Amino acid sequence: MIPDDLRYTAEHEWVRGGDGNVRVGITHFAQDALGDIVYVQLPEQGAQVAAGDSFGEVESTKSVSEIYAPISGTVVGRNDKLVDEPETINADPYGEGWLVEIEPSDPAALEGLLTAEAYRALTES
Amino acid sequence: MTDAVPGPTIHSPVHDRHVALGAKFAPFGGWEMPLEYPGGGVIREHTAVRTGVGVFDVSHLGKARVRGAGAAAFVNACLANDLDRIGPGQAQYTLCCDPATGGVVDDIIAYRYADDHVFLIPNAANTAEVVRRLDAAAPAGVTVTNEHTGYAIFAVQGPSSAAVLGALGLPTEHDYMSFETATLAGVELVVCRTGYTGEHGYELVVPADGAGAVWDAVLAAGDSYGILPCGLGARDTLRTEMGYALHGQDLGPDITPVQGRVGWAVGWKKPEFWGREPLVAEKEAGPRRTLRGLEAVGRAIPRPHMTVYAGDQAIGEITSGTFSPTKKVGIALALLDTAAGLEDGDVVEVDIRGRRAEMKVVKPPFVHPSVR
Repeated sequence: MIPDDLRYTAEHEWVRGGDGNVRVGITHFAQDALGDIVYVQLPEQGAQVAAGDSFGEVESTKSVSEIYAPISGTVVGRNDKLVDEPETINADPYGEGWLVEIEPSDPAALEGLLTAEAYRALTES
Repeated sequence: MTDAVPGPTIHSPVHDRHVALGAKFAPFGGWEMPLEYPGGGVIREHTAVRTGVGVFDVSHLGKARVRGAGAAAFVNACLANDLDRIGPGQAQYTLCCDPATGGVVDDIIAYRYADDHVFLIPNAANTAEVVRRLDAAAPAGVTVTNEHTGYAIFAVQGPSSAAVLGALGLPTEHDYMSFETATLAGVELVVCRTGYTGEHGYELVVPADGAGAVWDAVLAAGDSYGILPCGLGARDTLRTEMGYALHGQDLGPDITPVQGRVGWAVGWKKPEFWGREPLVAEKEAGPRRTLRGLEAVGRAIPRPHMTVYAGDQAIGEITSGTFSPTKKVGIALALLDTAAGLEDGDVVEVDIRGRRAEMKVVKPPFVHPSVR
């Protein structure tokens, strides 16, 4: 449940690199710990985010979890489908349940995030 | 109910079944109990109970027995509700209040077996204290015994609950809030028409050594009805939709029955019960705050301890709050100052992590109950 081709943070977000912009979501581990997700709050398109800053919330029947920007940059896309179908995150956290797309201010910052191997070690400890 | 209970963690007699099912666990009053099950989750489990049937292991609930000549009269002189409103074979929601303050030490289901025999189901975290208070007050000839780990309790809840128990040959036709004794898989158990979900349902009180056989039998018989094992996460969303108070949140030593709007469970005409004097005085003077229902106007989920505002004025605090899986909206119980003069339908604001969210004052239940 930890895809090898993604990068991760200790706050249980995943980051998928690509042609410049990166896609961000929460991990299987995070959605499982939260339980049924019923409400998602995401940053506005165009928002400037700084790595480590809280930029939204994911809330389940029993608790709320802040989501943190894994890298600095500009929000260039958000998964608005989650407004009406937040349960998509539980069903497909690495696919249809993505949260936002960020244009990194420093594309090399991706390399500073956890590898799948490092994240696996973190969640299994 | 508080989680901070000293001592080792206690497990249900059927803990092994929950482990085998892969349940997630959480602490409840010193016990480690299932929160939700894989393949279920709070919303699926909640929906199963509203539309079909679910079974909860609530063995963490307390069990205490009061026996001896005059046992029922003794309990009636201590606990708040009027035990003489019910007869043998009936159960009643009642309160153990503090004599000095009227605050709620615990809320309890009392099973009246006979004049010399009452069985009590307090909350897990409060059982020892309730037993201590009753034992200290008991007259000669009346014994109060803590039987907390002697029994499992399984709540079979939902519109199909009668069909499941019927398939097992258990009695199902008795009235709401009454109980019968029966035998299943060689185990003698008590079948009570009670619950904490707002649906038609039963609570089975089963001796601990027969609990595994009964749990297995209920799940097997429920299979064709789509029964789901349900955790205490769904139990909380179900009871919140009904506006049922949870001790430790909506009721407590600092919250009286008058404030918590459970005055219906107080025998006001009784000459004697713990807390009578302060409670009668508070009822006559009018409480300074009362438990009200709130429903979110937009997308917001109120949580316990959030502050409620009318304009700039803080007027109270959320005591229970969650997402209603049935109504798909945030709902809450909140202790609000009487002086704010709020009517049902008025809109207040709740501080949700620094943001204000509008909530409408409503009269619980949030969802229509179908207990009968």
